[in-house]
Amino acid sequence: MTVEVLFNEVCGLFGDVFNAQYLEKCIPDSEFIYTALCDKPYFEDNTPDIILMGAMSEKTQRAVIKKLLPLKNRILELIDKGVVFFVTGNAFEVFTKEIDYVSEEIKTEGLGIFDLTVKTDYFNRYNGKVLGKFNGEFEITGIRSQFSFVYGNNSDGYFVKSDSGIGINPDSKFEGVRKNNFFGTHLLGPVLVQNPPLCEYIISLAGGTPRLAFEKQARSAYTQRLKEMKE
Amino acid sequence: MNIRFIIAMLAAKISKFLLKLIGKNATYLPGLIALKLDKNFLGGLSKPETLICVTGTNGKTTTSNMITDILRDNGYSVTNNGFGSNVQAGVATALLADATLTGKPKNKVAVIEVDERSSILVYKYITPDYLVATNITRDSMKRNAHAEFITFIVNSALPSTTKVFLNGDDLISSFFGKENTDRTYYGLDCEIPEREESAGVKDIVYCPICGGKLNADYIRYNHIGRYRCSECDFVSPERAYTVTAIDRENKTVTLTHNGENHILPLVNDNIVNVYNLCAVSGFLHKFGLSFEQIAASLKKTAIVKSRFDTEKIGDYSITMQLSKGQNPIATSRSINYIASIEAESKAMLFMCDDIEEKAESACWIYDCDYAPLASDNIKQVIFAGRRCKDHLLRALLAGVDESKIAICEDPADGAGLIDTSCRNVYILYQLYLVNEAKKAKAFIEKKAREEIK
Repeated sequence: MTVEVLFNEVCGLFGDVFNAQYLEKCIPDSEFIYTALCDKPYFEDNTPDIILMGAMSEKTQRAVIKKLLPLKNRILELIDKGVVFFVTGNAFEVFTKEIDYVSEEIKTEGLGIFDLTVKTDYFNRYNGKVLGKFNGEFEITGIRSQFSFVYGNNSDGYFVKSDSGIGINPDSKFEGVRKNNFFGTHLLGPVLVQNPPLCEYIISLAGGTPRLAFEKQARSAYTQRLKEMKE
Repeated sequence: MNIRFIIAMLAAKISKFLLKLIGKNATYLPGLIALKLDKNFLGGLSKPETLICVTGTNGKTTTSNMITDILRDNGYSVTNNGFGSNVQAGVATALLADATLTGKPKNKVAVIEVDERSSILVYKYITPDYLVATNITRDSMKRNAHAEFITFIVNSALPSTTKVFLNGDDLISSFFGKENTDRTYYGLDCEIPEREESAGVKDIVYCPICGGKLNADYIRYNHIGRYRCSECDFVSPERAYTVTAIDRENKTVTLTHNGENHILPLVNDNIVNVYNLCAVSGFLHKFGLSFEQIAASLKKTAIVKSRFDTEKIGDYSITMQLSKGQNPIATSRSINYIASIEAESKAMLFMCDDIEEKAESACWIYDCDYAPLASDNIKQVIFAGRRCKDHLLRALLAGVDESKIAICEDPADGAGLIDTSCRNVYILYQLYLVNEAKKAKAFIEKKAREEIK
């Protein structure tokens, strides 16, 4: 398997880089390509099995959009092909239609892959937890911390339906986005480390055989977090 | 002077008196009361002759306290909030405590530590004559988001007349007050015999001017270091005060200014504290003290015991070190420092309070460098706290052998797990666990004393 990690040097604000580092330990025979923001993405001419991208600053978000906008059709092609995208934090906002940076008085056109818009306000930070069932199969838990909310209808394609916590905005219960095997979530940090069933699912979906690193300890920490979240 | 201000001042003064009467520190509430009664309270206070503000992610308390101590040692009467709160209410509490009822300052100098996130609420009302900045790195994601956000906040608030004294080795805080013309930089230019950071996160990667790739001349830790841009002529700023040598044996540093070397006492050899020392000494020299005055006062200075304290009992050495929870860089530096100390059979009790209230969680530990915990001379690592299983997993992913890790969910149980064959015990504790940390220390002390008997 080939995994491309996009812009790891600037898109890993809250421990998100460990999604890639954990996968490296879970699928050790796979090739991992770390593409810097100043490099040509591997996916432009090749088809990786998994593409990862993590949370970033707002300035970086604009730089990432500038970088990926010319590759929109290629990204759509990869999504159609069933390539697994797993993007965390505000990374998925890059793929929406528009981001309005209210405090900085800047509006930026996104890739427009999702018919959604974003409002980012430096003076209103939202912190919260999410607990929800993924695909109706297993529970996902995690935290979010963001300046932005996403608006529009994502009821046809979301990451999880929140049983606890909000969705893409305070009036929504549908958290994140999904299009074929593209998964975008506002959950932050090492989401795959902290959700072993999701990590297994992602690896399997990409055609790999999941053997979770430190499985016993990872499941034990996950179980405890789930239990506390439900209390 | 309006009636609202006077009522606020009176109420705050009375509340401070009453709080003191019942044995409370009163470093926050009086200011909060004043601000509730008059939201422009800070603006109503007359400014001391010289207002020095100290800010940054890490080291601001130490730096602010040391500047205050040295100024006081040299005859200045100083208002300071070093042992209290550094948010708007804390700043108000400190200033009102040393002010008359009409808001006139009793002291000519104020050294005020300002939480960087609170800059907008503080500098709107008071204009510092000087701003000393330590560094900006990632901190609590819930509160501080990321370094660019904090820079945005500080730069939105900082008055352009303030003279800025900045860490020239930090490409983030060295850009504070771009419009401010009186700028002085400090930094380190010497060998640092510490372990190379293997996977340290960096809060700046590309050139702050053109966005090009940065080449590092060297990196001290995380993004702290010296850089030049590969695409434009940007280089890290020229420093006026530089630590050019650290003599750990004689406990001195050489501070170079205008080509002349000055020997100063080394208060603590942790690299972050060497940066703090450089900031303090350089700033006070710029302020007007001689290097001789600074050196004489530094001899009497220590890092406050609530932050770092070592005690020897028989064969045992017990070190308490405060480590800001949710702050990956501060925690990484503490771990790194403990690992770098030349001593065998070390045990580290890490008391953590990562309680998931709204959002803060165990994510931050994945930005921490846990690899030093794998060092052979660290015989045991104990994670004590509700998120101990996450810490265990993180440590395993960093290559720490599971056989030397112990965990417990109640921080109070941590001390009981310490392997008694370890003679060098380090208690790394987070802010809200200070009482549990003291109890842990007392537990180990008792054990050590029993052995002596």
